[in-house]
Amino acid sequence: MSQALIDLVREKFPEAVVSSHSHRGDEVVTVKRENLVEVIGFLRNDPQTDLKLLRQIAGVDLLTYKTEMTGGAALASIEAPAYEMQRKPRVEPRYYVSYNLYSITKHHSLRVRVELRSDDVKVPSITSLYRTADWWERYVYDMFGVEFTGHPNLTRILMYPEFQGFPLRKDYPVRKRQPLVPELDFPDLVRGPGPGPGGAGVPMSQTHVGRQNVDPSTYD
Amino acid sequence: MSDHRLPVLKPEGNVPESPRIGGDENTIPVLATRLEESIGFFEKNLSDALGWARKNSIFQYPFVTACCGMEYMSAMAGRYDIARFGAEFPRFSPRQADLLMIVGTINVKQTPVLKRVYDQMTEPKWVMAFGVCASSGGFYDNYATVQGADRVIPVDVYVPGCPPRPEQVLDGLKILQDKIQNQRHRAMSKEVAPDVRLDVAAQRRLQKNRSFLGKLLGK
Repeated sequence: MSQALIDLVREKFPEAVVSSHSHRGDEVVTVKRENLVEVIGFLRNDPQTDLKLLRQIAGVDLLTYKTEMTGGAALASIEAPAYEMQRKPRVEPRYYVSYNLYSITKHHSLRVRVELRSDDVKVPSITSLYRTADWWERYVYDMFGVEFTGHPNLTRILMYPEFQGFPLRKDYPVRKRQPLVPELDFPDLVRGPGPGPGGAGVPMSQTHVGRQNVDPSTYD
Repeated sequence: MSDHRLPVLKPEGNVPESPRIGGDENTIPVLATRLEESIGFFEKNLSDALGWARKNSIFQYPFVTACCGMEYMSAMAGRYDIARFGAEFPRFSPRQADLLMIVGTINVKQTPVLKRVYDQMTEPKWVMAFGVCASSGGFYDNYATVQGADRVIPVDVYVPGCPPRPEQVLDGLKILQDKIQNQRHRAMSKEVAPDVRLDVAAQRRLQKNRSFLGKLLGK
């Protein structure tokens, strides 16, 4: 149906489109990072496309996805990352950010995708085009550590400010814990890990550098 | 040590090896036994009365964070009617509550709040972990979720279930009532209530009208 949208983008920005994909009304167009704001601005303002609603911004971390998915062995260990990165080749570009656009008047949608290499995880912000992009970009930054240049207030939105790392990155240890108040440690196989030596280590409130800019009297 | 302070009653669990009354070696044994007997009688009756009163008038603080709140509402409402067991009165200030019901998942970001709410409750206080998430983290074995509320604050009763049925909640409540009823309090001679600054007239009045227990203990 809306293969026309992809064709339109290809026609308008022939050098910006890296690849595209269409399957049963699910249209994806991958663009270069330099042209992202330009392309999305066009899709928003052009009366033919009229994609006025930004439904979602999603981050994706591929890491070793293209070769093979693993799971069980890494789950048993606390320290090992979710994917055994030593054996599996990494994928580059590792991340992509996906913008899910929808038109309320035309009832069509388009996903715009930007691929990011792991050594340069930056995307230009589109908060100037969509006000809702503010929180979505904070969300993607919080979970994946993607830096949105030009964002007015790029801080964590879901996790607490003391949190270290980005939890939805695939190399974040699956069973790592970062407690805010000192927790008891139960030697319990049924439950998840506590703040023991293998879990989050020493409780964050005591040693962690993440608490430097937080008033300790507000906790405990 | 000023004279106007009253001895306090404390739950037995808090005081390991509390010294008995009249532990002086020079006391005549028969008299000591009489004193101990009378105080024991007093303690037991007072504990029973306190337990009975407390277990039948539990003021609860619902710390509702997740879907278990639905079952909490069901347990509160007419069909299951937690009021039959005297716990129908939710106080939305922890300072007025006896029972902290942790209803739902506790994530790491909430733990300072939960701990503060628990610390604000006045003694005696009890905690019920409502549902499997509050008991052990449930299936949320991830970076954001505390693996059981008892990693942060002590819990008296665990009610399993995802979510627990109201019957289970009532069963947990009755277990907690048994626990409250069976608490024993012990009269203490060594320990006294925290010093309250009173004016001179009030001090005289207090000395004049010493309590029964104060007279009994010779304080």
